[in-house]
Amino acid sequence: MRLRSLLVRQWRSRPGRALAAAASVAVAVGAVVSTWTAADASRAGYRKLTEAVAGVPSIDVTARDGGRFDATLVPRLVDVTGVRAVVPLFYRPTLLRVGDNRLREVAVGVDAGALVSAGLMTLTAGEPCLEFDEVVLDATLAKGLGVNVGDEVLFFARRRIARMTVTGLADTDSLRWFAEGATVVVDIQVLEAMSLSTVEVDRVRVALTADADRERARLAVAERLPEPLAAEVPVGRASMADDVLHSANLGLDFVTSLTLAMSWFIVGNAMLMNVAERRRGLSLVRLLGATGRQVRRLVMVEAAVLGGAGAVVGAGLGLAAAGPIAAGISKALHADATALITPPLLLPTAIVMGVAVAVAAAWWPAREATSVDLLEGLSAAPPPPPQRSARMLLVAAGVMTVLTAIAEVLMAYGLLPPRASVVSGIALLLAFVAVTPFLLIPLVRLLGRLVPSRWRVEGALAVEQIARRPIRTALTAGVLVVAVSNGIGLGHAIRDSVDDVLNWYGKMLKADWVLTQAGALSVTREERGADSRRMEDEVRKVDGVAAVEGISLATGRAAGMACVIIARDLPPEGPLPLEPVDADEPQVRQALERGEAVAGTVLAQRTGVKPGDDLAVEVFGRTVTVKVAALVVDYTSGGASLQFERAAANRLFGMEAADVLLVTAADGKAASLGEPLKAIAVEHTMLLRSFAEVRRFIDNLVSGVVGSLWSILGLGFVVGSLGVANTVTMSVLEKKRSLGLLRAVGMNRRQVIRMVVLESLLLGAGAGIVGLVAGLSTALFIQFASQPLLGHPLQMRIRMGVVAANLAAALLVAAVAAWLPARRAVRLDVLESLSAE
Amino acid sequence: MPILRTERLEKTFDTSGADTSVVAVRDVNLDVEAGEFLAITGASGSGKSTLLHMLGGITRPSGGRVLLEGVDLASLGDDDLAAIRRRRIGFVFQRYNLLPELTLLENVALPLVLDGRNAAAADAAARESLAAVGMDHRASHRPDELSGGEQQRGAIARALVTSPAIVLADEPTGALDSANSARVVELLQRLVAERRQTVIMVTHDATVAAAAGRVVKMRDGRVAYDSASVEVPVS
Repeated sequence: MRLRSLLVRQWRSRPGRALAAAASVAVAVGAVVSTWTAADASRAGYRKLTEAVAGVPSIDVTARDGGRFDATLVPRLVDVTGVRAVVPLFYRPTLLRVGDNRLREVAVGVDAGALVSAGLMTLTAGEPCLEFDEVVLDATLAKGLGVNVGDEVLFFARRRIARMTVTGLADTDSLRWFAEGATVVVDIQVLEAMSLSTVEVDRVRVALTADADRERARLAVAERLPEPLAAEVPVGRASMADDVLHSANLGLDFVTSLTLAMSWFIVGNAMLMNVAERRRGLSLVRLLGATGRQVRRLVMVEAAVLGGAGAVVGAGLGLAAAGPIAAGISKALHADATALITPPLLLPTAIVMGVAVAVAAAWWPAREATSVDLLEGLSAAPPPPPQRSARMLLVAAGVMTVLTAIAEVLMAYGLLPPRASVVSGIALLLAFVAVTPFLLIPLVRLLGRLVPSRWRVEGALAVEQIARRPIRTALTAGVLVVAVSNGIGLGHAIRDSVDDVLNWYGKMLKADWVLTQAGALSVTREERGADSRRMEDEVRKVDGVAAVEGISLATGRAAGMACVIIARDLPPEGPLPLEPVDADEPQVRQALERGEAVAGTVLAQRTGVKPGDDLAVEVFGRTVTVKVAALVVDYTSGGASLQFERAAANRLFGMEAADVLLVTAADGKAASLGEPLKAIAVEHTMLLRSFAEVRRFIDNLVSGVVGSLWSILGLGFVVGSLGVANTVTMSVLEKKRSLGLLRAVGMNRRQVIRMVVLESLLLGAGAGIVGLVAGLSTALFIQFASQPLLGHPLQMRIRMGVVAANLAAALLVAAVAAWLPARRAVRLDVLESLSAE
Repeated sequence: MPILRTERLEKTFDTSGADTSVVAVRDVNLDVEAGEFLAITGASGSGKSTLLHMLGGITRPSGGRVLLEGVDLASLGDDDLAAIRRRRIGFVFQRYNLLPELTLLENVALPLVLDGRNAAAADAAARESLAAVGMDHRASHRPDELSGGEQQRGAIARALVTSPAIVLADEPTGALDSANSARVVELLQRLVAERRQTVIMVTHDATVAAAAGRVVKMRDGRVAYDSASVEVPVS
């Protein structure tokens, strides 16, 4: 016989124990694989959402003082890190005649062939336009007109009228990122020639790769540009999507890290129990002369084998579970194309990690098994937990709390990036888990008093079982503590953030119809200003329009930082469409009318600007010093914004043209405005959306993001229940002798079931309460951690629904998890149980 | 030179949750010669088992020394102590302590396997040891297929398999009926007589103790009586 075969014999004689240990690794690996894959699906969905809102991630090269510029001024940019393609754009309003229909549309000149081959424009039919008399139409427009590939259209340009052949139809979504509002695509040289405007472009859009760091790429591009040109994030595009998704990505990082932590607890607990159950056997082997190293090696080899087997099964299960989860998330995010993403290294990594985690988790119990007093090890009763373990846990909790506090302070001062909140948040949670043994047992004793008196015996025995093994109790409860605190903490954070965004959105955008600039942003300011005023007048004259508010957007610099300049009409009465922080609304209104500015909280946070400060603001190459009247909550461009009253902005910077028009209808007239406003929108190359449409889009975006986070949190509970079920099963196996004894002295089957279920329920309730405290602390922590990101504190409220749902889930998980082990406990043969080691 | 010597041996236990400590063994001086069959007797709590555990290097003494073949056990590290237990000491317990998942042969071979012997050599030695206790016909059986007496004889075979300097038996007949007890005692006597095996046995049974050549009686942690000693210490 070799020592290794001792392991095999042990597995064969007690297959349940070995299977439960391997199952714990399978659950843990499965959880990590499925969460990771689901998180990847969410990230992919988020990216698609960002693209839907902001188009392909990009930066714009524009003339500093607005207007068109010579394309030859732009240096080579394709070799900048993160740059996917460089796309010069030329916009031209035009008249299109299709059969008897005459349409005012916006044409965009691009290198269509290059766009298609780079995957930046998708054709639903046909080929890109390359020749002088070729055109590609928006597929939706073409469908409406009944135009197909090969049909001819008349194109009215400044120089001449051209008969052009439709060579292809472009997918509307794929047009949006570079030509929002434009429906006609022509080769750029053709459009320039037809418009008598050679080598000039409106902008050069630099498309970035999906994983590119937008700010780093912008700086790298800006460095190469000559003085008259600037590199900016497209105004009014990426802002809100980026902001919501940045927080959501942080949430995903948090959830996946917590799943890893939960997996550790599950595997750690299984390994601890696996070794603890064989305490006598291992002590006997030591007594017969095995060295500590031999025993440790035995335990480690076992962990590696069980870990490997569990990891293979877990990876398969995880992938199987990830499919439907990812599909559900994709559906929630309205991202149909999000397929299950399985990184090629996922399986081998999962297996290696499963083995590594199992071996690492077995290290401590192996060490304990070789350091326990031989006589205690051989005794029937388990030895009390070593005092040093308690001290170590308390020290660990203290160290992690201090580290979290330090990280919090460093993040508040901007010395650590917001992403550090994930690591420190996990550390805070682990600190809670570390103190769980000290909180849980008194708590369970207290909860034990609530057990009805007719079940007092079962309740008392259940409490004692929990109290006798504090480390194992803490690890089992730790899984639930993490799941509950995760649910409560992130649940609050998600709801608080969503409410904050929706509250802001509700104040900022009050209208029945929204007209937004399509593509032609960079016609000269004077030209656009006059056109914009004309259009506003036309909108005001439409029967049924009660109010029109214009919003102008521009990129600028304040205190050296790129920001969005927002100039908007203030409603003559009623509340301001702003959310001032610690400021009086009438005074803010007066200050804005005087030409002062209000700064977004993030801009203030990053530049150190305070109310009352003078600020040098550069817009369209003109630098003006303005006074900051107040700070406002703003999600535009991530809150890095400076807002002015529109007339004042026109005086200061010449910002006259409205990029957005908010149209409020008279009572009962909202629906009737659609047709006349659509005509005006087409005339002035604007995009018309009803407020309900905009709101639906925002709600879909938010609910998709929230739904995906909730589903991953739910997955945490499923994993938690499997982990708890496994540890309760192992606990029943470990207590085989005690259960046999209880049956022998007269406990009936029903009482045994009650005792096992009560033990699990008490554990679930205790863990739920600790998790509640941890979760609220996590929510508070996330709130603090998000301040540097948002620049303003989030309003945190205790949400009873979230709390109740999580506590109920913890109890349900505990009850369900205990049922099968309890059934198993009553099936144990009394004599066999009594003779168990 | 005695094979085993204790000098002013002492063991104190700290009681958990209280400031007091309990002295289990105090000032025990013993010399055990090779081939001696020594029985340690005494009432429950007299310190006899604690003394045996210290002699076997299972428990470290609080004071004094245990010299096995001239080596001070207290001076050894854990690995060296494990090697001494593996090669020079054989243990027999009241509850047999055979690993339930191994056959009797494998249980007996285990100390040799732990010592790095190859499987064939370990099996051969284990068979020989089982034959010596008359259990070779049950070699392939698992402990739960054996009677208590058979298990204990298997445990004695395991204790002998490394040809140890000394066999320490803690209440080896405590869980057996009288017929099986007599058989185990007879076996131990035969080992001493035929192999000159040194055996130290803890028992509370006077009949069993009477089978040993020398009897030491413990009371309150001290040696109250030693049949080999002319002088009887006053407790």
